[in-house]
Amino acid sequence: MIADHVRAIWCRELQRDDLSPDDDFFALGGQSVIMARIQGAFLDELDVEVPIDQMFLNPTVASISAYIESLGAATP
Amino acid sequence: MILQGKRVALPPSPVVHRQFEAHARTTPDAVAVLCAGRQLTYAELDARANRFAHFLIADGHGRGAKIGVCLDYSVDLLVAILGTLKAGAAYVPFDPAYPSARLELLLGQVPDLALIVVSPATAGLVETAAVRTVVIEELADRLAVLPATGPDVEVTGDDVCYAVFTSGSTGTPKLTAVRHEGWFNLLNWLMLEYGLHSGSHNLVVSAFGFDLSQRSLMMPLFCGATQYLMASRNFDAAMAYRMLTRHDIRVVHCASSTLYLLVDWETARRGSELTTLDYVLFGGEPLHFERIADWARRPGNTCTLLHQYGVAECTDVATSYDLAGHRPAGDDIAPVGTPAYNTEIHLLDEGMRGVGVGEYGQVFICGTGVGAGYLNSTGPENERFTTVVVDGEPRRMYRTGDRGRVTEDGDLVVAGRMDAQVKVRGMRIDPADIERALGRLDGVRQAAVVLRHTDDGEAELMAFLVPSGDGLDENDVRARLLEALPRNMVPARFLSIPQIPLSPHGKVDRAALTAEFLDQYAGSGTTA
Repeated sequence: MIADHVRAIWCRELQRDDLSPDDDFFALGGQSVIMARIQGAFLDELDVEVPIDQMFLNPTVASISAYIESLGAATP
Repeated sequence: MILQGKRVALPPSPVVHRQFEAHARTTPDAVAVLCAGRQLTYAELDARANRFAHFLIADGHGRGAKIGVCLDYSVDLLVAILGTLKAGAAYVPFDPAYPSARLELLLGQVPDLALIVVSPATAGLVETAAVRTVVIEELADRLAVLPATGPDVEVTGDDVCYAVFTSGSTGTPKLTAVRHEGWFNLLNWLMLEYGLHSGSHNLVVSAFGFDLSQRSLMMPLFCGATQYLMASRNFDAAMAYRMLTRHDIRVVHCASSTLYLLVDWETARRGSELTTLDYVLFGGEPLHFERIADWARRPGNTCTLLHQYGVAECTDVATSYDLAGHRPAGDDIAPVGTPAYNTEIHLLDEGMRGVGVGEYGQVFICGTGVGAGYLNSTGPENERFTTVVVDGEPRRMYRTGDRGRVTEDGDLVVAGRMDAQVKVRGMRIDPADIERALGRLDGVRQAAVVLRHTDDGEAELMAFLVPSGDGLDENDVRARLLEALPRNMVPARFLSIPQIPLSPHGKVDRAALTAEFLDQYAGSGTTA
């Protein structure tokens, strides 16, 4: 599941044991440096380049996972 | 102590867009701008900008007018900027990444704003403002019938070309105006001093509202090179790095913190695009050299790092230093070097006397770059633009509020502020600006904001809040603040305290705040 992998990346980069799929990145204290690291992890581990603008528009694990899945559906 | 930049004569009309027009005549088919698959040659960009200038003039906004520009990076953004300049007007950039409430506040600070240029994607951000919006895409039919040749508008070096916002100590952002002569001098200095030319293609990686972005936007057009823009509202390391990989980009201008992100990206993926650039021009906040030291020393790294210093009030950059000469020992601060052409740095003590080599004084900037002052203020902050008598001769100067000294080698070193202003990710921020926004939130009786540095050298804002009721939820405060302020101004940490310690003069005692409460914070987790 992409959402599980995304949540694992968020937990690692935000240094949290766990988080809810609906927690807001910025409310968790997320900053631009951490966001860039998560973007890098998406590229390295999921092989997908997620635009930073999309990460601002989708600031939760649930919504950014749905966005990544929509990319996969568009380009099989 | 005076550092004197080289004196270099400027043309009789040092007007920035004339230099672009000269390239449009000599190399009309060269690519001027490329963004999201759209590109314009110099001739095409010139013709579009001319038509836009004719539109502004016909609409009654010629020489001396102020035109707001709230556009995402696009070829149209350059059309709007160049067209505004050709009409003899000045542009004011509005960053579409800002929350709508902040844009409203900024718009209200521009005296006599003629109109604001928007796109369908940005119109909604400013639609409630009491100023006319013009959607640039919807002008196509009107522009098509206007002349593609330039309007006959006389523009002088003393005319204002752009104005940008800087954070103000009264809590109100200040709109600081730059003159054509100063901007021309800056671009001419960088071009001649560093040998920039028609192959010095540029990638813009900074947000539109910054002063450094105005330089980054115009630099390649001043040299006859190609401008690469990213269709992204926020800095995007993956997209920037992909652009560097695909295109022959030679130059990047950025804040120190953006350089860290790019270097981190390259290091993690073992790339070499940055190391083979000609130049990275960076600054805007204290350099944490350790963040880039390993990368800078990589074998085969031929990128020249220019560590620069300046203020928006004096046309962005005042000094520059080739970091190849930096051999840091201990906590040495990297120098910011020597002045731009036609620029002097004076270091003065409290009695306005020059200090000696190695002694600290306040940095004063003097010369062509000194700007036209604040457009929205007649208050005491205008006194920063002052006249100092040097060797019996009165000189117009800008008092920066920065502390500096000059090394034995004759390089300027800047070490912090004389006041409470701070720098976060390249943005000069006055804590009072944030404190005012916090004070407006329900449940906050009083607020104080200080800067701290994390263990890895990141600058981080921390807010101390005195609740008016039963306590505050940190996430709720942060969410409400994000609706009012740019992200760089939203503190990373919040801490509720019973009262704000004051100095004997009744001002917030920031040193005591940090000393008294930071230990408590360290043990308290993230609860506000």
